Amino acid sequence: MSTKAHDGTLAADPLALEAFDHDWTLAELLPADERPRLLRSLAAALDGEIELVDGAPPPVDHGRYAAAIQIDFEPLGWLLGPPERGAAVDGIAELLRKMLLDRQRYRMASALHMESVQADFAALRAQHEALQQSENRYRELATQLEVRVAEQVSLIEVRQRQLYQAERLASVAQLAAGMAHEINNPIGFVRSNLNSARAYLRQICAALSSMREGDQAAWERIDADFLLADFAELIDDSIAGADRIATIIRDLKGFSNVDRDEVAVIDLRASLEELCRLLTPRLPELARLHCEGQASPRLRCRPGHLQQALHNVLDNAIKAIGPGGRIAVRCACADGWQQIEVSDDGCGIAEEHLARVFDPFYTTRAVGSGIGLGLTLARDVILAEGGRITLSSRAGEGTTVDIRLPLGGAQ
Amino acid sequence: MAEYDEAARRLTLKLVYYGPAASGKTTNLMRLHDALQPELKGEIMTLETHNDRTLFFDMLPLGFRAPSGLLIKFKLFTVPGQVAHDGTRKAVLSRADGVVFVADSQRSQALNNGLSFENLADNAARVGLDFDALPLVVQFNKRDLPDILSEAEITARWAGARWPLTFACALSGVGVAETLRRLLASLYERLAVQYHLDSEHRLSREAFVALSTGRVS
Repeated sequence: MSTKAHDGTLAADPLALEAFDHDWTLAELLPADERPRLLRSLAAALDGEIELVDGAPPPVDHGRYAAAIQIDFEPLGWLLGPPERGAAVDGIAELLRKMLLDRQRYRMASALHMESVQADFAALRAQHEALQQSENRYRELATQLEVRVAEQVSLIEVRQRQLYQAERLASVAQLAAGMAHEINNPIGFVRSNLNSARAYLRQICAALSSMREGDQAAWERIDADFLLADFAELIDDSIAGADRIATIIRDLKGFSNVDRDEVAVIDLRASLEELCRLLTPRLPELARLHCEGQASPRLRCRPGHLQQALHNVLDNAIKAIGPGGRIAVRCACADGWQQIEVSDDGCGIAEEHLARVFDPFYTTRAVGSGIGLGLTLARDVILAEGGRITLSSRAGEGTTVDIRLPLGGAQ
Repeated sequence: MAEYDEAARRLTLKLVYYGPAASGKTTNLMRLHDALQPELKGEIMTLETHNDRTLFFDMLPLGFRAPSGLLIKFKLFTVPGQVAHDGTRKAVLSRADGVVFVADSQRSQALNNGLSFENLADNAARVGLDFDALPLVVQFNKRDLPDILSEAEITARWAGARWPLTFACALSGVGVAETLRRLLASLYERLAVQYHLDSEHRLSREAFVALSTGRVS
């Protein structure tokens, strides 16, 4: 049976609409269609005609005996029978009263039950309707939300890519500035050495032509022994300078793979040392940067990204220390993890900034000296490698950044 | 709400005994049935389950004829006190003309009393009764038990409430008729003007209360 048909049945039942506590009539408790059979059997038992009359007022019938059928104070109806059978009519009336009392009790209970069920049902239906409305609202919101979130995500992705690019360019620019200085220095003394060597060569040539013309003292005059010795030294120095430049260029080439996205296996120790060498020129006066401990020679990672992350951490350390400061990079391998700990004895980070160091664009440095993405980027890279990065610091006592990378199966 | 049948010269009033489970509502009705001697008293109709918990309601009809011939008929009902039967409780409460709130005096039942009273106020609002205007008497039952709140404590707690307080031991019948009399007195105030009880039916408040309850045996 469908719900609709069920509702119809309820509505069609007059009892369902009747309040349980109303005054029940004889017609309700003993419907007309039940009466003929009941009265026939009662008449047979009585051995005389009987009649049932509805209503409280006593019937005007002088020929017959009338017994009230009464549940509370007013008769529901009257039972009429032969006057000579008065006692029996009373008995039957009492029997009917008892029967009707039970029926009334049952009818009241069922009407009350119906009332409470209908009230509950109506409340449930109202609740259901309200729920459905709110569900519709949420569904609508959800579809819009998906579209809006997708839009925002793609916008954020674009911005993020731009920012990463900007940060990389910034670090490359900083490196380039350091490199220029570092290359300029050996080039300066190589050039100066070569100038001196050219002057020596002119003196030696002049002395040799004088000697060919017979002036044997010319050789003594130019102090040839000193000249030749110094000449060799100038050449050695210049070769060392050229080597230094070659080393710088090689390291720089290593760092130039910051744009490489693909996974590769690298020698972490070599990579770290290369990075330290690259950054050494940027250290303050008398400061030291050293690398120690065990680093995996076969670490599977995105080398460009990892180098960028380590560079950013070291760059922060360099900016934190003053003249004579110390930066230590300590490596260790244990339990399937590569630990890289970068600690400095620099200015440290005040407690109120500590919670936000990884937040994008959060910087305490002067405008123009950093956009506040260094550590954000480092963290993103380390997390993408499946590792974790934590930072502890105390203002005035230095900072330690602890990086853990999974060694995986590539060791 | 009071039902006035002018043709049959009959005024029917519904009084409801409300309260937490097992606080003695049915017992109140049974004692009233035994003790009251009004002119008209019907059979008490109970619908108890096997463990003496009221499942639907109990009903006791009482009545009398005013000097004018008007039949004044009371139907006293109890509600099922158990929390689960709230739908039934609400349906029994609807159309009530007056309420007796039967509270359990035991200290352990203080919370249940409070919850049930709140439920009464909520349900009254839901079935469209004006709770503030509804004639109501609060009866603290089971005064014979140990570890009950003292009358002083109860009076102090209910000092701010405007409803009459009564104390009863329904099991022995003490205070049961008194509770009903207090309710009838409040009810009279509510009905007198509307149905011209004094002027037309020559029924004073005292007579209304006395005729409703009869002589206490």
